[in-house]
This record gives sequence, C-alpha cells and structure tokens, in this order.
Amino acid sequence: MTTAYLIQFAVSAVAVALIVGLAAWATHARVSLALDESTARALLAEEFPGLDIDAIWLGTDGKGAIAKSGDRAFVVGRTGLGYVVRQVPWVRAMIAGVKDGRLRISLSDVAAPSATIAIAVWPPREFTT
Amino acid sequence: MKAFDPVALATPFFILTVILEIVLARFGKLKATYETSDTAVSLAMGLVSSAAGLLTAGASFAAAMWIYQHRAFSIPITAIWAWVVVFLLEDMTYYWFHRLSHERRFWWAAHVNHHSSQHYNLSTALRQTWTGGVAGTWALWLPLSFLGFPPAMVAIQKGVSLVYQYWIHTEAIRRLPKPIEAVFNTPSHHRVHHARNPRYLDRNYAGILIIWDRMFGTFQAELDAEACRYGLVHNLGTFNILRVAFHEWIGMAQDIVRQPRYVLGWLFGPPGWSPDGSRVTSARLRAEWLARQTKPQEALTHEAGVG
Ligand SMILES: [Zn+2]
Ligand SMILES: [Zn+2]
Repeated sequence: MTTAYLIQFAVSAVAVALIVGLAAWATHARVSLALDESTARALLAEEFPGLDIDAIWLGTDGKGAIAKSGDRAFVVGRTGLGYVVRQVPWVRAMIAGVKDGRLRISLSDVAAPSATIAIAVWPPREFTT
Repeated sequence: MKAFDPVALATPFFILTVILEIVLARFGKLKATYETSDTAVSLAMGLVSSAAGLLTAGASFAAAMWIYQHRAFSIPITAIWAWVVVFLLEDMTYYWFHRLSHERRFWWAAHVNHHSSQHYNLSTALRQTWTGGVAGTWALWLPLSFLGFPPAMVAIQKGVSLVYQYWIHTEAIRRLPKPIEAVFNTPSHHRVHHARNPRYLDRNYAGILIIWDRMFGTFQAELDAEACRYGLVHNLGTFNILRVAFHEWIGMAQDIVRQPRYVLGWLFGPPGWSPDGSRVTSARLRAEWLARQTKPQEALTHEAGVG
C-alpha cells in the first residue's frame, strides 16, 4: 500500500511538472489587456458597487491602479492574468513607498499581501504640501 | 483501507484529459484558458491534497467502522438496490456538506481554495483542499454507516462522486441535452457554482445530481446573457501555495485574536461576516445586487402608475 502509493505519488508529481510545462508552452503568447481607467472603474464597481470615486491614478504599465474614495484607498493590482482589488485606509496608502518607479502598497491581507503599481510619484502632488 | 479506489483508478484519465484540454485549446479546437502559475497551483493542491487526505483517512474510516458496528440495519454490499440507495443518500449528503462548506466560515476555510482560481478548466477540478480532514466534514457521512451501509461502500461512492465532478470543470462543453441538464450536475451548472457574479453566488452545490439544488432552492441556471466571472468575491493576489491553502484559516485566526469576544461569529458566521457589518457576505451581495436590479424597474412602474 505504502510503496504503491509512493510510486503513484511520484508518477503524479512527474505528470504535474509535465502539464505545467505544457501550460507554459500553450499560454506563452497570452497577454492580458492593459488596464485603462474604464476597466479599472469597472473592476472596482464589481467588488464595491456604488463606490464613489474621488480620484483615480493608473499605473503607467497598464497593470494596476489606485483610487481614493473618502478616507479609503482602493487598490487594483495584477496577479497573473487576473486583477485583484483590495481596500486600505487612505492614510496608509499615502505613506506607501516608491521604489524603482513603482508604488508598493501593503494590503495587510494573507490572501493578497501587497500590490505594486507603476506610479513613480507618490503621494499625488495635490496631497503634498 | 478500501480495495477499490475510483480516484486512484481515474488519475491517469485526469492527467491525459488535462493534457488534451491544454493542447486542443492551444490549437483553438476548444474553449479553455490555462495560465501557468494557476495550473501549477491547482495541480500541486491536488497532489498534496491526496497525501493530506491519507493523514485523516484512518481516523475517519475508524469512526465509520465503529458507528457501523452499532448500525440500525444490515445492508448487503452486493445488492443492487443498496447501491441505488447509497448513490442517492451519498449525493444528498454531498449537497449538504457542500452547502455547509459555503455558508459557514470554518468549513469555507477548508473549501475556499477549490474556488480560488480565476480560470475554469479541468485543472481547477484538481485544486482540492488540504484541510478538509481536519475540518471534520467527513462526520457528515457517518449516518450512512449508522444506517447500515458498509463504510467501504460509502467510501467507494464518495470516490465515484469526486471522479464524476472532475469532467464538469470545463468551458469546452456548453450545454448538454435538456433531460441531462435537468437531472445531472453539468459543466454549465458547475460553472455557475464557480462564478463570483452576485446572481451566481452560492448556487448549485450539487455533486452528481442537480435535483437537490432544485429541491432545496439553490438552483441557478447559467444565463447566456451573463457570462461567469470565476474566482472569489475578493480574489487572491498571490500564487504562493501556502497562502492559497491556508489564507482563510489564518485570516480567521487573526480576526479571533483581534476580537475574541466574537469568536463564534468569526468561526461559524457566514464567510464575509463581521461584527460591525464592514465586510460583506454572499447573501448581502446578492440582496444588494437584487435591489439594484429591481430599483429602476420599480421607479419605472411607479412613474407609469403616477402618469
Ligand atoms: Zn464549492
Ligand atoms: Zn468545482
């Protein structure tokens, strides 16, 4: 039983590696659509219907966005081909750091620890005095 | 523990059909979206899940054997009628297990990872839990042993159900003939189950037969006008497999540590429950969505009435 199971597990592990390689080959040329403002707003509306957006800033590489709504920041980040939306207090978004032209925001969520958005100047000028 | 294991027997079929779906989709012969990291996570979840299942299989099987020794009736494993009855009862048990796994956070923590892919393909079927055994949902099948079904019979039927549910994880099959869609869980019905659109949330819990959803009021047909958007209400922002496997358990523990007086709500409230209502449950998402759908209608009706 144990030996048979170990053999089955090992063969399955090899098959997993093979399939992942195959998936890499098959999805090689796939690119997801760049995130423009209307797409970002649509993604935000999907998860937070009726959200009143004061302002929205898009990543220059079309892979993320951050929006302000009252005292909350709504972050749209890219994970693989999909997008992930989270909210954090606006004050926390304000103090997020920029490194190598990218804004990195901690989302304090085990399921989505952080988001990186191609925004070189942060916080926005209108919020700095 | 059991001589006949449908899942082990079906594993080569799983591997071959995933390969086939990827290759055919690559050449545009069928509809399927594969993403490398996502596929890797799904398959690794499945592989480790089978090993993790072994850790608790002994305990759950021993419990079933103990209950079986105190059974109400003796049901012969060789009787055809017994297989028909166990098929129906096991499938109904699966429905309630699955519904519980969506409606209470403690069990959702174990089931959530099956829903965490933003894609829907055959590999998604293999994205199985690592923590189902410790979540204890196997206890839901114990009444079948008490009734007198031999534990091996129940285990085989559970395996058959799992194997059945594999092939329905595909976008390649649109709709099956009406009589099949009426009775069986199909790719179309299960796509709805994996969708995060408010209309589709927490619907179609079926294992093999969709009749339980129709009977217990959780059925929703897939609508051509509303394409399924797959994944969670708040999707994962990582492909780290440990985060995928344990994020809800960790989130739940963090909530309990932060607000221990609400421990029961955090554990057994619906997913998305919070003491102050700052998070949203599926029920609230659906209700708010419904309100948004009916509002313009009501306004129109009202206007017409006044005019
Ligand atoms: Zn489910
Ligand atoms: Zn599924």
